[in-house]
Amino acid sequence: MSASSSEGWSAAQRRLHWAAALLVAAAFAIGLVMVALPLTRLLEKIIAYQAHKTLGLLVPPLVLWRLWLRARRGRPAPDPAIPAWQHRAAAATHGALYALLLAVPLLGYLAASTAPGQIETTLFLLVPVPHALPPDEALHALIRPVHQGAAWALVLLAAGHAAAALHHHRRGRGTLARMLGR
Amino acid sequence: MRMGATSRRGLLAGLGALAGAPARPAAARSRYVFDARAGQLEFTARHLGVLTSTGRFEDFEAELLIDPERPLTSQVAVTVRTAAVALAYPGAVDLLRSPAFFDVERFPEARFSGRATGEGRLERFALAGELTIRGITRPHRMEARLVERRQDPALGREVAAFSAGGTLRRSEFGMTAEQAAISDEIRLTVRVRILV
Repeated sequence: MSASSSEGWSAAQRRLHWAAALLVAAAFAIGLVMVALPLTRLLEKIIAYQAHKTLGLLVPPLVLWRLWLRARRGRPAPDPAIPAWQHRAAAATHGALYALLLAVPLLGYLAASTAPGQIETTLFLLVPVPHALPPDEALHALIRPVHQGAAWALVLLAAGHAAAALHHHRRGRGTLARMLGR
Repeated sequence: MRMGATSRRGLLAGLGALAGAPARPAAARSRYVFDARAGQLEFTARHLGVLTSTGRFEDFEAELLIDPERPLTSQVAVTVRTAAVALAYPGAVDLLRSPAFFDVERFPEARFSGRATGEGRLERFALAGELTIRGITRPHRMEARLVERRQDPALGREVAAFSAGGTLRRSEFGMTAEQAAISDEIRLTVRVRILV
């Protein structure tokens, strides 16, 4: 395991944590809306897709930055008041969250690449992102549901993660406060 | 796939991807008849200035009067079945067939007929004619070129590939829906390969 720091999370680690949380929440919500929008509301649909792709693709670089900070600087020492099994459960959840934060956008990018409709990906409607794979209907039909399922898993796991933080917070532990920098 | 004009002649039916040999030589010009198996008919729209989407027509019939040595005297007529519009995005075909767009119930066909103006060279020559969409006919110009001409070893024949492109304003044909999301300017691209 990486080094541990008794001074809590660094400001950069905290900002990156909340940035990823906001991006994921927004991308997920927009994802639900964009799929449901009918083609008769084409402008909103086009903008929603580009916003979803833009927010989603910002996540992996931020997560890699965070993993690098964590490897270099470590994480706060575990709270001794929390039972060991809960630490193990938290560590497993964090591992899965990091993996999904990288995998869900990657799967989304591959789904967009292989989509038969060939809609370009343009970050902020400004920066074109080349698609790595050619349109492939069969592959798209395979990747898209995996992206969707993994996104739900990410959001549900993050909700559990947030519920656990609130639970500890109510019991007077510093889990949430130290991520808020207090 | 529907039986196109290529098979009507009963010539070279197995070639598929090519417009067959001339059906009826007319002086120096030859008459070629082809459909979606030998040619491609595409249209491209832009969205928000940065995105594009490209659709095609999978059912059309074209007649080309051409002297491959002197394509600057060519004549072309294309009839498109509007219901055969194809765009690989969920729901896009229904939208394009709807009354706001091609209105395929009322206007089952779109047409272009034109002839080379004689301007230009093989690498770039002008076609001028009339385009009819949604029952509205407007003058339309396209720029055509000989893409390549080479001996096809598999066929043992010489094959020429032509392409033509032009731009139209869909609002001029009464197609004014979704102005914010779909560009007014639409690019048309036609490609065909013929046996010389």
